[in-house]
Amino acid sequence: MNHVNVRPFWQNGLPLKADHSAPAQGNYCEVIQPSFLRSQLGANFRQASKINLWLQCILIAFTMAAIAVPTVAQQTVVERETARVETLRKISPSIVCVMDPKGQGGGSGVLISADGYAITNYHVTSGCGTFMKCGLSDGKLYDAVIVGIDPTGDIALIQLQGRTDFSFAIPGDSDQVQVGDEVMALGNPFLLASDFTPTVTYGIVSGVRRYQYPANTFLEYTDCIQIDASINPGNSGGPLFDIEGRWIGINGRASFEKRGRVNSGAAYAISVNQIQKFIGHLKCGLIVDHGVAEFTVATSDAGEVTVAQVSALSDAYRRGLRPGTQVLSFAGRLLTSANDFQNVLGIFPEGTRLPLTWRDRDGLHAGTIRLRPLHAFQKAPELPEERRQRPPQDPEQQDSEEHLLDTTADEVPEALQSLFVARDGFCNYYFNEMQRLRVLTALKERMASNGDPKPVWGVTFNSDPGSQLAGELTIAASAVGMNLNNRPFLQSTTDPQIDEESPQLPGLLIAMNQVRRLLSCDAAEFTEQQAAGRTFHLPLKKDVDVLLTREGVRTCRWYFDESSTLPVAVDLEYAQGIDDARLLFADWADRNGVVFPGRIGLISGIQEDVRWLNIDNVTVNKSAAPEKTKP
Amino acid sequence: MSMCVTRPFKRVCWKALILTLLFASDRCCASQSDFRATAEVLRSQQQTIVKLFGAGGGSLDSYGTGTLVSGDGHVVTVWNHLISTGYLTAITADGRKFSVDVVGTSAEYDLAVLKLRSEPGDSFAHIDLTKASNPDPGTPVLAFSNMFHVATGNEPVSLVHGVIAAKIPLEATQGRWTFPLKSPVWLVDAITNNSGAAGGLLTDTAGIPIGLIGREIRHSTSRTWVNYAVPLTTLKPVIETLLSGKKLDSTPKDAAAKVPVISDQELTARFGLTMLPNVVERTPAWIDTVAKNSIAAKCGLQRGDLIVLVNDAVITSVTDFQQQIAAFRSGERVALTINRDQQLLPLDLQIP
Repeated sequence: MNHVNVRPFWQNGLPLKADHSAPAQGNYCEVIQPSFLRSQLGANFRQASKINLWLQCILIAFTMAAIAVPTVAQQTVVERETARVETLRKISPSIVCVMDPKGQGGGSGVLISADGYAITNYHVTSGCGTFMKCGLSDGKLYDAVIVGIDPTGDIALIQLQGRTDFSFAIPGDSDQVQVGDEVMALGNPFLLASDFTPTVTYGIVSGVRRYQYPANTFLEYTDCIQIDASINPGNSGGPLFDIEGRWIGINGRASFEKRGRVNSGAAYAISVNQIQKFIGHLKCGLIVDHGVAEFTVATSDAGEVTVAQVSALSDAYRRGLRPGTQVLSFAGRLLTSANDFQNVLGIFPEGTRLPLTWRDRDGLHAGTIRLRPLHAFQKAPELPEERRQRPPQDPEQQDSEEHLLDTTADEVPEALQSLFVARDGFCNYYFNEMQRLRVLTALKERMASNGDPKPVWGVTFNSDPGSQLAGELTIAASAVGMNLNNRPFLQSTTDPQIDEESPQLPGLLIAMNQVRRLLSCDAAEFTEQQAAGRTFHLPLKKDVDVLLTREGVRTCRWYFDESSTLPVAVDLEYAQGIDDARLLFADWADRNGVVFPGRIGLISGIQEDVRWLNIDNVTVNKSAAPEKTKP
Repeated sequence: MSMCVTRPFKRVCWKALILTLLFASDRCCASQSDFRATAEVLRSQQQTIVKLFGAGGGSLDSYGTGTLVSGDGHVVTVWNHLISTGYLTAITADGRKFSVDVVGTSAEYDLAVLKLRSEPGDSFAHIDLTKASNPDPGTPVLAFSNMFHVATGNEPVSLVHGVIAAKIPLEATQGRWTFPLKSPVWLVDAITNNSGAAGGLLTDTAGIPIGLIGREIRHSTSRTWVNYAVPLTTLKPVIETLLSGKKLDSTPKDAAAKVPVISDQELTARFGLTMLPNVVERTPAWIDTVAKNSIAAKCGLQRGDLIVLVNDAVITSVTDFQQQIAAFRSGERVALTINRDQQLLPLDLQIP
């Protein structure tokens, strides 16, 4: 099959006639000339012998095949090009050119919602400051504010201002991306387009599930997509699309070597599936952290992933993992190497609870562990000088514009100043407060009917048949008491002790104290309250918003879903080295003037099974009245 | 057209139609002129690539790529620095690790044939050299290699795409070393000139093997990094000879041919540099004098400095230095490493 002969049909759009100036194209030129066909058919039919006829048939067949094939191919190529052009027309308005306020440098980004949220690289925004200027393909410049950062994952969320109808990219499923898939990278390399029309580069997927070491920084690329599309300075933070125009990643890193910091055919995009797990956190204005599993693994010579070291205080240790234990899967993914493990670990935010399966002498086991903080940054961490986004310049074009903006322009309009609030431990506290108040205000409205802010509740309950638990809870400000199957327990609320908890329902008393604090809607009940992002809740099997509260050494993660202004679950971390107390709340209702769940589920950390307690009756103890009048 | 030709014409048309369909269907498949290859093609090609680990150090990488050419575990790669070690290892696509022996090398073809030290009963997926094709410029190609050592263990190696840009004899150098092959090689527009990519496989989109990815090398005239692959049809007889146990002439025929040298006079005139008189065969590259305000002075060179490295090349003598410097063109930057008072200093020399 000679490719040269058929290429010009669609590559150059040549007409179907002879071009004798191009000998290489002679083959097809001759056989397709219409006059040639006519003369052959007209002159020779009558005299044709059988052999002659067959010869003619073959000749004509060749001719027609030669005509037909390029036409088919031409159509396919034209169709594909038309589709590609149309796709690019649709996705281009979502591409952002991210610059510092003076327009001295920056990178790229992509809008993800109509209200202006956009994703870019942390190493792009870290050099831009709090407010930045963003150019879109409409040629206009927009102000933007930093919202949240994920320094380890090299991701930042910003919000463009001034419109509520921004075009935005539609995410695809990056787990479905395969080696060989066609991809398009969009962005503004070398700040080439002063009207912000994005530059498009095309390539294929060179590898998936790549792990790229932090390399002298904290930036760690896990489970990323390797591409051969041209990626250059200024592309950082820009989106990677599949050929259908679905957003599948953020181009952030490339292997640079002898050519300097320009395309080498090996670039890496952070997968959109990883980014999606962080967006809820980023929208809360957080410095989002990645996690550690509190155990390390190694790949054995036999290709097994085994535990190397495990912390004695970890979830994993309590589940039974020991050095030498073979880890089979993590977060639902089968492991064949230590890199696989790092890849899975890196795509989740700190605090996420993940299922694990392992094998030891006793057989197969399954359980869940919660990721603990990796870096716990209190401030946005500094990048080494060479990792910061420099004003990207085309090395070949020394006379290119050094910056795209008039440096005398207003840096930050006064109206936008209120969109940023600095606070330790947060990227932009303004956004945390917004999310936190959204949850807490709705809760407060719902709880308005409770009236008495310092009640003493009496709660009677029984369990599902089988475990045969029945009892009564007394929940007061100073203590929580329980009578469980005629055995008494009393837990102080100021200095709770693990020993005072019942062995059947560990942590329930301390948790009920926390519930009382939350439902009082009094900020003074906690030392800290913050919106803590969005996570997948395993027993509930859905995404939920997280409100984090601290009181003494006790940290609660309250989970809220769209269906209710009241929490659907809580995880209470109350002591090191023991499992969190984890409750589900269902059937919230007014019960004798108290808003209280109709059922409380206790989740076991081993396999996420739930034991339900049915609430029979709730009463407000009038004897609590004097407590209210205490000085 | 008259009525009397209707019947034969019909017959012709029928036969033509049938044959058209036959030819067309055949051509239709082959003319898929884009970079999409089936997952099956990619997966099976990946199986034939091994990750090599050998000699390295400094800016020379200790990793590379090889392509399996026999079920017994014979691997072909480029005969570069990586092979010059006694502890070469390979990891196959399924993650198995093997020690590697060098079966034979050919300087003339810049080729090394290796053998995985396998156990009896081991068998390996490999390319079929007899199927190697010789496509024309314009053909879409895929390049498989472990460039930048991105893949570890059982992870599939990297894949990049491009087209064959030209088929030409290559004039290229790496420092003093000149690319020896005189017959044409393929230039590709995919970036294959990357760390660790040499020895990888070039195929068409149907998975037909066509070339062995070449080494990191610059074009003699343009000094640009050349992305090239040596046709497997060229290498096949050489590989077969090496596999049969025959030795090949280990030095290229023109290796002793004149290597360009920068003369003493030119060194003084252009650089302001005079070396210690070259009286013995291996006179160390000591600097005798440095002219004031000369290029050499600006670079920081002083009388008494011993030149140790030019970029990554170890300098063993004055002649060696003069040959190395002659390989660079005006405007290029060269990293010199010198020994001054028992200390190694890096200097940056711009060729005038």
